[in-house]
Amino acid sequence: MSTIDPENNEPRALFEFADFKDKHVLEIGCGDGRLTWHYADKAAHVTAIEPSAKQIAIAKENLPKHLESRADFQAATLEEFAAKSRPSVFDLVILSYSLC
Amino acid sequence: MVHAFKEIHRLLKSDGFLIDIHPVAVHSSVEIHKNGKIDLVGQLEVSQWCVDFQEADKALDEIIQRGIFTVEQKVMFETLTYYDSAPEMGTALKQSILKYVREGEPVDEEVSHVEILAAQADELLHAADGEAKLVLREPDHISRLKPI
Repeated sequence: MSTIDPENNEPRALFEFADFKDKHVLEIGCGDGRLTWHYADKAAHVTAIEPSAKQIAIAKENLPKHLESRADFQAATLEEFAAKSRPSVFDLVILSYSLC
Repeated sequence: MVHAFKEIHRLLKSDGFLIDIHPVAVHSSVEIHKNGKIDLVGQLEVSQWCVDFQEADKALDEIIQRGIFTVEQKVMFETLTYYDSAPEMGTALKQSILKYVREGEPVDEEVSHVEILAAQADELLHAADGEAKLVLREPDHISRLKPI
């Protein structure tokens, strides 16, 4: 079993760039939620999208109870998600290793 | 890609911002770590992956030139992935190659390069006994962009 970024270099870089307090966040390309868990408890709400339904199923399965009301995982591309979203709703968008 | 950034711009509040994280389009390295010493096994050559992220970089440049976003901050960092074995690394890297490949693009050379790297890593791991760790080092950059 591989271990990705145990040094937490990625979340450390993210926290240097963003204060998540009271923010409504959209994460594009969330995968299995690996990065999402690091900041979700600090944000007001997180919408995390990922085209792979398999990855979203893993993310939902691993979603901690205390984050259930704060994090919403959806299997969707950015195009699909944007088509049904109102404008100007997010304080912060994270494009994480995603080519959209 | 430019269209995607425009969609992101539409979804963002005017005082919001975008954080973009993606690998730097250069070769990642496969390493053996033991007792604080790092030995380079080789560099990963995933041209398809690099082409895609080079295009992402170009799209980012274009949206900045068009005045859709402006860069507030940008830095590089590295992510390290630790594998339990060389075959595990080989399988994971081959899956990544196949995930990013475009229809009709040949991947035999890249897959074969991964197999060679995995075999070399396996030999070095066995020679180094159980204390050594197999690591993939990937340079990434993170940017904070403000919508205009």
